[in-house]
Amino acid sequence: MNLYQPHRVEIKEITDETVDTRTLRLEFKDPEVAQSFNFKAGQFGEYSVFGAGESTFCIASSPTRQGYIECSFKAVGKVTKMMRSLGVGDTMGFRGPYGNAFPLDKMAGHNVVFIAGGIGLAPVRCVIWNVLDQRERFKDVTIIYGARSVGDLVYKRELEEWAKRSDVKLWQTVDPGGETPEWKGEIGFVPTIVEKAAPSPADSFAVICGPPIMIKFTMPVLTKLGFPNERIYTTLENRMKCGIGKCGRCNVGSVYVCKDGPVFNAAQLAELPPEY
Amino acid sequence: MKELQELARKLLTDGTVGVVIGWEEGPRGIRPYFCTRPEDADKLVFTPRCVHNLATYLSPRRSNVRELGKVAVVVKGCDNKAVAGLVRETQLKREDVVVIGVRCGGVVLDPYGPAELTANTVADRCPGCDVREPHNTDHLVGELPPPPPGEQRTAKLMSELEKSSPDQRWDFWIEQLSKCVRCNACREVCPMCFCERCLADKTQPQWIDSSPHPRGNLAWHLTRAMHQAGRCAGCGECERACPMDIPLMLLNRKVAQVVADSWGYKSSEDPAVAAPIGTFNKDDPQEFIK
Amino acid sequence: MTVKTLTTENLSHLAAALLADGTEVIAPVKDSSGKVDYRAVKQAAELALGEALPRKSLKEFFLPQTECLFYFKQVKNDVELTPVPTTFGPRIVLGAKPCDAAAVDILDRVFDWDYHDELWFGRRQATTIVTLACPMVDEFCFCTAVDIEPATRQGADMVIVPVAGGYHVETVTEKGEALVTKYAKYFSDGGKQAEADTFRAEAKAKVEKNLGINTKDVRAWLETHFEDGLWHELAWRCHGCGACAAVCPTCHCFDIVDESEGVNQGTRRRNWDTCQAGKFTLHASGHNPRGEQCNRCRQRVSHKFMIYPERFGVLLCTGCGRCVRACPGGMVLPEVLRRVNAAAQAAKTEPVTEGVGQ
Repeated sequence: MNLYQPHRVEIKEITDETVDTRTLRLEFKDPEVAQSFNFKAGQFGEYSVFGAGESTFCIASSPTRQGYIECSFKAVGKVTKMMRSLGVGDTMGFRGPYGNAFPLDKMAGHNVVFIAGGIGLAPVRCVIWNVLDQRERFKDVTIIYGARSVGDLVYKRELEEWAKRSDVKLWQTVDPGGETPEWKGEIGFVPTIVEKAAPSPADSFAVICGPPIMIKFTMPVLTKLGFPNERIYTTLENRMKCGIGKCGRCNVGSVYVCKDGPVFNAAQLAELPPEY
Repeated sequence: MKELQELARKLLTDGTVGVVIGWEEGPRGIRPYFCTRPEDADKLVFTPRCVHNLATYLSPRRSNVRELGKVAVVVKGCDNKAVAGLVRETQLKREDVVVIGVRCGGVVLDPYGPAELTANTVADRCPGCDVREPHNTDHLVGELPPPPPGEQRTAKLMSELEKSSPDQRWDFWIEQLSKCVRCNACREVCPMCFCERCLADKTQPQWIDSSPHPRGNLAWHLTRAMHQAGRCAGCGECERACPMDIPLMLLNRKVAQVVADSWGYKSSEDPAVAAPIGTFNKDDPQEFIK
Repeated sequence: MTVKTLTTENLSHLAAALLADGTEVIAPVKDSSGKVDYRAVKQAAELALGEALPRKSLKEFFLPQTECLFYFKQVKNDVELTPVPTTFGPRIVLGAKPCDAAAVDILDRVFDWDYHDELWFGRRQATTIVTLACPMVDEFCFCTAVDIEPATRQGADMVIVPVAGGYHVETVTEKGEALVTKYAKYFSDGGKQAEADTFRAEAKAKVEKNLGINTKDVRAWLETHFEDGLWHELAWRCHGCGACAAVCPTCHCFDIVDESEGVNQGTRRRNWDTCQAGKFTLHASGHNPRGEQCNRCRQRVSHKFMIYPERFGVLLCTGCGRCVRACPGGMVLPEVLRRVNAAAQAAKTEPVTEGVGQ
């Protein structure tokens, strides 16, 4: 067996988060692998649909919850379209975990502010779970999440759970025009709500992920609030094939997203050339 | 060549064009040159090592070349057929390019090799050339040299293959196409391969296996030859570019011959001459419908 | 290091003996048109050492242009995976060009970067490389400019140097030792050191004339010139065709695809790919970080002269000159390096804000 051969995983549960975003819960078929598999929040894997190919996704579940891994995806290309045609009980493949992780040890003892937009909540969700499952390690937890419309909000079940918790400050928002009559949350773009929420930078880390345009307008808000670049973390995506630094595809300058990332802080991002 | 250099200088100084694409003496031999300044016009040359088909730089895929402004391109007669092809297929407006024809007596295959034109060094398309003086150009420069020496090796090999059995031809092509690594140099240098999204690059569905095994390579090359039917200008750049020395022009010439036999069409310098792929005549041969 | 002599005749006998013992012998071979390439030989008579530059490098013997990674078969809603072998039969390369052997050693680093590529190393382990210190230097070579030379031992298990009547032999690794021990009857004791050294010095002098650059300065320039007119200038002539990558001994970028081989079964394959292809970095969403040829030209030069040395301490180029010979658009890498080097030197004496391009 060589390093490009994936482990087999079985689809145990399918959740349609939105009309186009689906979450799969996967369990390793080989009991030894299932037993020993471990990863850190932020790492990614290469998920196979045998016959179609592999696709890169962060592991959307938390390492604190053993026994399964999850991924959330939109059907955009060949592999993801095939993934949508799979059902519970079908077999996929998984190679990983690859890449680096969010620095939870650094964040311990501090406040954490999570900011996400749309499907960008997927990579952030694994960290949120990880933090909430070890709640006592962290101080204040703030989650600011928005999507284009109510229908586009992902992980709706979890949003309800987080809303109910007294040890989490949750802000949910939809873009103006995306609200429904029953909507009780905020209305406004994510950067605007971040300004409104005005999380304190003192003793705080920020974890942010979402569409490029959201990141572009939210970063300056965080900077204005006083968050230093070294404490703002995000995760990058790039076209990948091997996921292990050999195929020469995912580099941004001399930084390999699959090896040096996918988690980077804003200070590291500022050093990167515009190649992603 | 003074005439060419003067012309280029004038076109650039007048602002008629933003770039004159010709050939220069590079560090190892002749190569394409993008002359954007009148003072650099002296670098433009025309020698028997000017084998490159510069018409490929007029392809709509080359937006970075079009950014330089209106283009003037130096062409031999064979290259001009590709210019005409692009115009014929509405990829280029004739008035958007200044065509500088150059009278030619043949070129060598290797622009970095010996400059002497002999039966051994000559590019395969040259022997028997009927467009040594290009037509339908905006300018025509140079003196007409004597015709190129030698015979077309491809034509010879083609007639040998035609005499062999289907099994022998299959073996020949599997052996040749096993060498292919799917670098796609043949496609990228071809002026007529201008599709923004090549069929071979489509993944939904994967019409042609992308892997360089004989099966995938056969599918790729036969498809490309068919897509070039009635369109290929016969410039031979694909074969010259191929790093694995696959005799691609064998395929292209064979297809061109079938097109000529069936529809009386040969690649033409005149864009007004309609190609069979885009035209229908009531008396077109229809043996395939019985 | 053991020093021996090997006559030309005995080289032929050695090849025959290796073949008889079941070792695959890969050597430069001439075809009917006079072109030379590395090929597995069936008889010793096919060997054509030192006659011309092999058209392709040794890359395909360690990283095949297409390679099966594993097989998959759908069985109801489960999938059976069948692995491929990672051990290979014994092979020897007789008469590798030094730049080609060095390239294999250079590539070991990326294939061992945190994850050990069993397919690459399986082939490496099975192969003994005998380098022929180089009688094929021409005006396209520039190995001395990229920290290699015609006498390099990099990547070699044994080196043979042309001398009168045959070769001066030097073992480099245990594999080389094992070779001269097992086939001792073909080697005679004592080498022709002086003659060999003269040969090597002459070859080196020949290459040094072709290009002289400071690779550290080139790297520093590349680190600070992500944007530059040079990349746009190169992109005019560059077809993005990938012929350079195909013949290059160190270009190793690859693609991974699934292919069916019948109903409900297939393979996952690793295929040669090139950063020069338009869709190399194309996302499914349509976003392409290197969507223009200027970016792709920059990537190739940077990967070889800035990124790889930064990560692994060695250049991803051995100066073989094949890219120059293969390029249909007239790209000349030594020219690019010379220009970058000149700009880098000028920047050291006076801070220059202008780039290298027109």
